[in-house]
Amino acid sequence: MNRLLPLLVLWPLAGAFLTLGARGRAKARRILACSFLTAECLLALPALVAAASGRELAFAWEGVAGLGLRFRLDGFRALYLLIAAYMWMMTGFFSVQYFAHAENRGRYVFFNLMTLSAVAGVFLSDDLYTAFVFFEVMSFTSYTWVAQEETQKAMKAAETYLAIAVIGGMVTLMGLFMLYHRLGSLTFSALRTAGETLPAEELFLPGILVTVGFAAKAGMFPLHVWLPKAHPVAPAPASALLSGVLTKVGIFGVLAVSCNLFLNRPGWGRILLVPGVITMFLGALLAMFSVDLKRTLACSSMSQIGFILVGISMQALLGAHNALAVRGTVLHMVNHSLIKLTLFMAAGTVYMNLHRLNLNEIRGFGRGKPLLRFAFLMGALGISGVPLWNGYLSKSLLHESILEYVAHLRAEGLPTGAYSAVEWIFVITGGMTFSYMLKLYVALFREKHPTRQPEFDGMRKGYLTPLSALARGGSALALPLLGFFPDLGMSRIADLGQGFMNGGAPAHPVAWFSGENLLGAAKSLAIGAALYGGVIRPLLMRKREGVREYVNRWPAWLDLEAWIRSGAVRRLVCDPVVRLFRLLDGLAESRPVRVWIPAAATGLMRGLDGLAESRPVRVWIPAVCTGACRLLNSLTDGLIRLSRMTVLSVKRAPERPPVGNRLTWRLGRALDALARGLNRTILRKHPMPTDYEYRLDVERQEADRVMGLIARSLSFGLLLLGIGLLAVCIYLLSR
Amino acid sequence: MTGVMNEADWLLLVPLLVPLAGGLCVGGIRALDTPRRRRIFVLSALVLEAAAVILTAARPDSSLTLFRIGADLPVLLRLDGAGRLFAILAAGMFLCVGVYSFEYMRHEQHEKRFYAFWLLTLFALEGLALSGGIIAYYMFYEAMTLLSLPLVTHTQTREAVAAGIKYLIYSVLGASLALAGVFLISRYTRTLVFTPGGALDPAKTAGHEPALLAALFVMILGFSVKAGMFPLHGWLPTAHPVAPAPASAVLSGVITKAGALGILRVIYGLSGPGVLVGTWVQTALLILSLLTVTMGSLLAFKENVLKKRLAYSSVSQVSYVLFGLFTLNATGLSGALLHMVFHSIIKNALFMIAGAIIFKTGKTLVSELTGIGKRMPRTMLCHTVVSMGLVGIPPTCGFISKWYLAQGGLSMASAWNWTGPALLLLSAVLTAGYLLSISIRGFFPGEDKTHESFAPAEPSPVMWGPILLLTLFCLGLGLFPTALTDWTHALAAALAGGAG
Repeated sequence: MNRLLPLLVLWPLAGAFLTLGARGRAKARRILACSFLTAECLLALPALVAAASGRELAFAWEGVAGLGLRFRLDGFRALYLLIAAYMWMMTGFFSVQYFAHAENRGRYVFFNLMTLSAVAGVFLSDDLYTAFVFFEVMSFTSYTWVAQEETQKAMKAAETYLAIAVIGGMVTLMGLFMLYHRLGSLTFSALRTAGETLPAEELFLPGILVTVGFAAKAGMFPLHVWLPKAHPVAPAPASALLSGVLTKVGIFGVLAVSCNLFLNRPGWGRILLVPGVITMFLGALLAMFSVDLKRTLACSSMSQIGFILVGISMQALLGAHNALAVRGTVLHMVNHSLIKLTLFMAAGTVYMNLHRLNLNEIRGFGRGKPLLRFAFLMGALGISGVPLWNGYLSKSLLHESILEYVAHLRAEGLPTGAYSAVEWIFVITGGMTFSYMLKLYVALFREKHPTRQPEFDGMRKGYLTPLSALARGGSALALPLLGFFPDLGMSRIADLGQGFMNGGAPAHPVAWFSGENLLGAAKSLAIGAALYGGVIRPLLMRKREGVREYVNRWPAWLDLEAWIRSGAVRRLVCDPVVRLFRLLDGLAESRPVRVWIPAAATGLMRGLDGLAESRPVRVWIPAVCTGACRLLNSLTDGLIRLSRMTVLSVKRAPERPPVGNRLTWRLGRALDALARGLNRTILRKHPMPTDYEYRLDVERQEADRVMGLIARSLSFGLLLLGIGLLAVCIYLLSR
Repeated sequence: MTGVMNEADWLLLVPLLVPLAGGLCVGGIRALDTPRRRRIFVLSALVLEAAAVILTAARPDSSLTLFRIGADLPVLLRLDGAGRLFAILAAGMFLCVGVYSFEYMRHEQHEKRFYAFWLLTLFALEGLALSGGIIAYYMFYEAMTLLSLPLVTHTQTREAVAAGIKYLIYSVLGASLALAGVFLISRYTRTLVFTPGGALDPAKTAGHEPALLAALFVMILGFSVKAGMFPLHGWLPTAHPVAPAPASAVLSGVITKAGALGILRVIYGLSGPGVLVGTWVQTALLILSLLTVTMGSLLAFKENVLKKRLAYSSVSQVSYVLFGLFTLNATGLSGALLHMVFHSIIKNALFMIAGAIIFKTGKTLVSELTGIGKRMPRTMLCHTVVSMGLVGIPPTCGFISKWYLAQGGLSMASAWNWTGPALLLLSAVLTAGYLLSISIRGFFPGEDKTHESFAPAEPSPVMWGPILLLTLFCLGLGLFPTALTDWTHALAAALAGGAG
C-alpha cells in the first residue's frame, strides 16, 4: 500500500511521456491524457479512503535527488491530492473542446500531466526538501500554461510568472539552506521539534525565507504581481488549475512552515496577518475595478488566498484553541478550489465561444443558457458566502475565529482595536466579494449586448459539447451539495484536514447556522449590495452613446510591477550595477592597467636599458671617477707642494717699494684707492688727483732734507745743550 | 589504502602515453591523412584512453618517480582520489566532445592539426590529474597552455590569433605567479610532493606566517587565472567565442577545472587548509570568488553573443567551485568537487549545443534565436534541461552541488557566512535569466511567427548523441547522486581531515 504514494506521483509522469509518443495523432493523445487523468483520480480515491480510516502511509526514497524523497499520506494530503486529481480530470475533459482548434496542443498536454505529477509530489511530501524539489518542477512546468497562447501579453505575463517563481524559489532555497544547517533535517516532524525547542528568534529569518517562495505562488502581497496577469492569459482550464490548485500548493508550503516550525507562536501569527489582510482586501479591490472576466476571477482568487492566510495566522495566534481557525482554513481552501474550478470553466466557456473576455464585449452571452447560468450562479453564491452554499460555512468559521481571538484578548484585558479592525476588513471584503460577483453575473446574464445579442442568442445550442457539459455541471453541483449538508461533507473534510495542521480538536460541534454567523453573512451581503449600487454602477460605469459600459478606473501607476520595470529603477539601480561590473570585468584590461602601468614599466625599463649609455653614466660618472683618480694620483705631490707653500716655504726678502719708502708707498696707495673710489662715486665732476704715493714721497724727501739741515746746524747743538741743562736742573731740584 | 603503496608503478604512464602517441601519430603519419581514417583513429585513441583511465582509476593508490631535478626535487606521478576524479572527467569529456567534433569540424579547415593537438591537450590534462607534486603539476600546466593554444587559434582569423595571444599572456602570467609561489613556499615545506594535510614543516614556518600566507596567496592567484577568477578572468570571454565549439567546450568544461585542481592541490596538498582558515588570504579569496560569481552572471545576462554569454557563465560557475574550495571545510570541498563534475558536464553540453546552432543555422547572437526550439526541438530540449542544471533547479545535478556548496558556506565560522549562499542564489537567478530566456524565446516565438517559417534544422545523431548523453547525465546524476556524493564526501573528508 505504501507504494501507492510514488505511484501517484509517477503515474501522470508516465502519462506525460506516453503522450509524446502520440505526436501528430491528436485524438489518440486526447484519449490517452483523459484516461490517465481519470485513472489518477481513481488512484487518489483509495488513498483518501485509507487516510480517512486513520492509516498513515509513508514512503521514503533514500538518496534520490540528494537528500532523498519522503512521502507521507494523511487526511489533508489525501484530500488535496484527490481535489487536485479531480480538478485535473474535470479540466481535462473540458480542455478537449477548449483546445479543439488550438496550436501546440501536444505541449500543453505534456506539461499539464507533468504539472499534475509535481503537484502530487508536493502534496505528498513529508519534508521541505521533497516539497521544494517538486515545487520547483511545478513552477517550471506550469510556466508553459501561462505562455501557451504566445501572445505578447501572455509572454510578458509568463516572464513575470517565471521571474517571481525563480526568485521566490531561490529565496526559499536560502531558507532551506539555513534551516538544514541549523537542524540537520527538514522533515516536518523535525521542524515541529525544532519549533518547540529552539528560540523563535533563531527561526524567524529562515522561516520567513522559506515561506516567501511558497507565498509567492499562493499570491500573497507583495508577491502577487504575477497573479492578476498570469491567470487571465492562460487557457481557461489552466487558469482554473492555477487558481484552484497551484495557489493551494503555495498555501501547503506556508502551512508546512506555519503549523510545524511556528506551531502556536503568536509572533508568527502577527507577522503573517499583515500581508494576509492586505492580500485579502487588495485582491477584492482589484477585482471590483477589473473589467475583464478572468482577471476579476484571478483577483478574486488572490483575495480568497488572503482569507486563507488570515485563517493561518489566526491558528498561530489562537494557540491551543485554534480548532475553528484550522477547520476554517481547510474548508476555505477546499471550497475555493472547487468554486474556482466552476467559475474559470464558465469563463472558459465564454472565451472559447467568443474569444473575448472584456465585460463590455461579452455582456449578455449567458442569456438563455441555463447550464452556464446554473454553474456560474453556484460558483458566485458559493464564493460570496451566501448561507446554504459552501463558501458561507468556511467564511463563518474564519470569521468566528477572529471574533474568538478578540474575545480572548478582551478577557486578558489587552487592547483589541487592531483585531476588531481586521474583523471589519474581513466583513467588508466579504461584501466586496459579493459586489464583484454580482457585477459579473449582471453583465453576463442580465444585460444585453448592444449589437451582438442576436448572435449570442443563436449560440444556445452547441456552445458546449456533452463532455464539457458534464465537466461544467458536475463541478458546479458539488458546491450547493456541500453547503446544504454541512455536517455530512464539510465536517468530515475538516476532520480529515486538521491533523496536518497539528490543530486542537473542536470543543463542541459547530453550529453552522447560528444567529451570529448568519448575522455576519447578512452584514457582508448588505455591504456588498450597497457597494454594487453605490460604487460599481455609478462610479465604475459610464454612459457612452446611450449605452452603459464598464470602465477600468484603476490607476495604472498603482501597478507595483510597472514601478519595478520602470526606467527609473533601471537607471538608478540596474544600470549602475551593470556599469560597475563592466568596469570590474575590464579591470585587468582597463586603460590604467593595460596602458599606463606598462607604459610606466616600459619607461622604467627603457630608462634602465639606456642607463649604461645615459649622459650621467657616460660622462659624469667617468669624469668624477677620473677626477677622483687624478686626486689620488696627485695626493703625495700635492701634500709636498702644500707643505712647501706653508710650513716649508722659503722666506723672501722684503721687496722694496718702487717709489719712496714702505710707509709712504702703502699710505699713498691707500689714499689713491680712496680717492679713486670717491672719484667714481661722489666726486665725479671734480675728480681728486690720484698720485699720492708720489706726492707723499716728494714730501718725505723734503722732510729728510730739512731734517739733515737741522742736524748739521749749530743751533741744533745749542738746543741739545739747553735740554741737558734743563734735565740737570730738574734732577737737582727734585733731590 | 592497504599495505605499502607501490612506488614505481609504471602502468601510470599508460593514460599519458596513449593520447601522446595518438596525437603524434595524427600529426606525423601520412597514412592517417584521409578524414575517414583520421576520425577512426582518433575515436579509437579516445576510447582506448577512456578505458585506460578507468582501468587505472580502478587500481589502488600508487606512484611513479619520473626523474629528479637535483637530489631533492622528484618529479613524480601519483594516483589519488582527486586525480582519479579529474582523470575520468577529462577523458570522458574529451571522448564525448571528440565524437561531436567529427561532425562539427566538417566546416572547419586543418582537421589534422586540430586532432593532433586535441589528443596532446588530453595528454597534458591526464598528466595534471596524475601529477604527484607541484613541480610535475607546473610542468604539465605549462604544457597544457601551449598544447591547447592551437585549439584557440584554430580558425587563424585575426581575432582568433589575437585571442590566442591573450590566452597565452594570461596563462603564462598565471603560471609564473604560481611558480613564484612555489619558489617562495619551498623554503617552508618538507617536500614539494602533495601530502594529505599539507607538506609544511612547522619548524620552518614558525615566525614566517606572513610570508607563507603571501606565498600561498600568490600561488592560488596564479592558478585562479585558468579558473577565470577576477581580476584575471579576461581571457575566457575573448578566447571562447573565436575557438571552434568543441575547443570552447573543453576550454570551459575541462581546462578551467585544471586551475581549480591546482588550487585544490595547493590548499589540500601543500599548505593544508588549517593554515589558511580565518586568515586574510581566505577572506580575500572568498571575496574575489564571490565577486566573480556575481559579475560573471550579470555580464552573461547582458551579453548578446551566445558563446560569449556561455563564457561569462563559466567565469561565474567555476568560481562556485573556487568558493567551495575557499570555504576550507569538507562539506564545501565536496560541493566544489561535485560542482567541478557537474559544471563540466553542463558546460560541455551547452557549448556543444551552441556549436550545433552555429553549425546548422550560422546564428551566433542570442537575439537571433527566436523560434530555434521549433527548428531544433530535441537539441533545445537538452538545452532547457542542462540550463536548469546550471541554475540548480531540482532534480537536476546542479542543485546537488549547490546544496553542499551552500552548506559548506554556512559552516564557516563567520557572522558573514550567509553572504556566500545568498550570492550563489542571486547568481542562480541571473543564470535562469540568461539561459532559460534562450529556451523560452526558442520554444515560444510568439504568435506573430508562423510555424511554416521554422525549417527543421536538427543536427545529425553524431552531434546530438553526445549532447543527449550529457543531458541524461545531468538529469541522472541529479536524481541518483548518491554514489558520486558518497565518493566526493569520502574524498573531501580524507583531504580535509588530514589537516587534523
